[in-house]
Amino acid sequence: MTIKHESQKIAEYFYTFAVVLFLVQVLVGIIAAVQFIWPDFFILKFNIIRSLHINAMVVWLLVGFMGATYYVVPEESETDLWGLPLAKLQFWATAGTVTAVVLGYIWMGLNPQANSPIMGINPLNEGREYIEAPRWADILIVISVLTFIFVNFMTMMKTKKWTGIQGTLLGGLTFLALMYLPGLFYTKSMVKDQFWWWWVVHLWVEGAWEIIAGALLAFMLMKVVGARREVVEKWMYIEVGFVMFTGILGTGHHYYWIGTPGYWLWVGGIFSSLEPLPLLFMVWDAFRTTRSARNVTNRAGLFYTVAHAIFNFVGAGLWGVIHTLPQVNKWTHGTQITTAHGHLAFYGAYVLLVLSMIYITLPAIRGVKEFNASRAYQAFWWMTISMVFIVLTITGAGMVQTYMERLMGLDYVTVKATYNLWFWILRVIFGVGFLYGVWIFVVDFFKLGREPMPAVSAVPGEA
Amino acid sequence: MSNKAARNLFIFGSLFFFVIFLGMTYDTLGNLDKRAPEITDEVDAGKHVWHKYDCIGCHTIFGNGSYFAPELAKITEKKPKGYLKKFLMDPKAVNPAAAMPKFGITADEADKLLAFLDWSSKVDTNGWPPKPILAVAAGVAGQELSAGEKVYRAHGCSDCHIISGIGGTSGPDLTHVGAKRDRAWLIGHFKDPDDYVKDSAMPKVEAPEADIEKLADYMLTLK
Repeated sequence: MTIKHESQKIAEYFYTFAVVLFLVQVLVGIIAAVQFIWPDFFILKFNIIRSLHINAMVVWLLVGFMGATYYVVPEESETDLWGLPLAKLQFWATAGTVTAVVLGYIWMGLNPQANSPIMGINPLNEGREYIEAPRWADILIVISVLTFIFVNFMTMMKTKKWTGIQGTLLGGLTFLALMYLPGLFYTKSMVKDQFWWWWVVHLWVEGAWEIIAGALLAFMLMKVVGARREVVEKWMYIEVGFVMFTGILGTGHHYYWIGTPGYWLWVGGIFSSLEPLPLLFMVWDAFRTTRSARNVTNRAGLFYTVAHAIFNFVGAGLWGVIHTLPQVNKWTHGTQITTAHGHLAFYGAYVLLVLSMIYITLPAIRGVKEFNASRAYQAFWWMTISMVFIVLTITGAGMVQTYMERLMGLDYVTVKATYNLWFWILRVIFGVGFLYGVWIFVVDFFKLGREPMPAVSAVPGEA
Repeated sequence: MSNKAARNLFIFGSLFFFVIFLGMTYDTLGNLDKRAPEITDEVDAGKHVWHKYDCIGCHTIFGNGSYFAPELAKITEKKPKGYLKKFLMDPKAVNPAAAMPKFGITADEADKLLAFLDWSSKVDTNGWPPKPILAVAAGVAGQELSAGEKVYRAHGCSDCHIISGIGGTSGPDLTHVGAKRDRAWLIGHFKDPDDYVKDSAMPKVEAPEADIEKLADYMLTLK
């Protein structure tokens, strides 16, 4: 397995940056977990640490998608990338902007007054969850994404091979860029603020990102098991179609309690309850395609791909649907139940997706036919078992919180500091387990294809 | 189904649902101002303070945020404003157990922030957060309360204080207060907390003398 077009190598730049940010995300995640037990632990307090934790995640997944796209588009278009130097510039500009934003958060953590508005605009942190990045960085991010889409679009225009996969990928990326815009203006009303904010957050992760995931899943199934394009693409359309049909109006499950009209309880409740179905299709599709496979070229890649499909369904689907009905959500909204769902959903839907893309494309980029996959499996089990237990402990904490705070009426701080203490302790322990898994993955990422293969034919008796 | 049919289903189906979504968005935006009080300049200034200190980095508002610290949309209904203002400016000075750092919020910023949070407390949120059902049930069908307990409830003391695990954590735990304080101290303290505890953020108990005495008697039973 080698790459067909030299310019596909640019994917590795993006992967490397993504992998480093992944490690940063998990390191600060452990600091945040410890702060649930000792709020004064560490020089940077929870608000900064948490901003770093979720922003590192959003950025590394996005950067991972970009790397994957730069790999997929030349392959699908059967030509080299249009404007490779522009793509490299886009990479360095993105990395520079992200680093500046991170330094800004740290500065604000050391000196909160540094975020005082300059001409009405907060220079370091917008103070809006997930889209904390200040306005100047928003503009640079928009330019970066537009440049990225432009390079890929021009590449497709070179040969005009409009495959379903790259058309869907382009559609998902354009939708992603468009849905960043509702987060770019100030509203006086906190209700409208949150209304538009959900356009960005929900229509990204349960809209644009799922379209990209569907396209990449189709690509990977073709690559690793040699599935037929017509079949894979047809199911891709059906899957991403149903993700949209349920997901767009499913946004309503965020409009129950923020000051929006009551009809959203009906619309959000019904459509978001259907959201797990397309994710279940994807699992069935992955298994069906894999069963019919004759020659698997990259077992580790296939392993991660199927795991992605399963945990997308469990994390985003099942852990979401348990608290999506308004009758349930009335009691669980704003508790740790949401945190538990967030962790498993992002891990299953997007972390495993980017890692599968890396395991499927990196060997080709490094020009190796085979690689020793033992570290890939080790990393998977350490990460996945740890994440499942992290999610179970947070779910437990959320159930205790829902019962004691929301049903019994105990004080928030009492429940958090006393009754949930053991859950926080367990979460830190499993967090360290997760970090160990990530570390194995990071080591594997840098060593893959760069060390000699162990002797395969270690047949007993052979001297 | 052919590939082309599947593709068209995806594209036009998505557009169909997006158009419905846009229509509902239009209707919702037209309704929002009726469901919330008017936004004064002070409320808007308070929202700017909210963003400046990245309050959502720990708290939630309308249930959205970071789940690390209490929900704030209706906080001004729960705690006295005088307490909240002092707390915002220097959390650990009024509650040594507080996890919130001192950010350097000024008195002016605290006033604006409280105006903003007053606004958020009056937004029609379709009944969220719901009243805790067990606490409500206990209040209706609970055992006979003593005269002092009735005063304690009527003044919302448990919003900030805990007795035997029930109540808020903003003020000191009162479970064993009767073993630490005498009657004269308690009565004097209720009338003017600041005289007895330096920089106290507790509001004065505005009640008739008889009620204050009953409250003190109740405190003395807590040992």
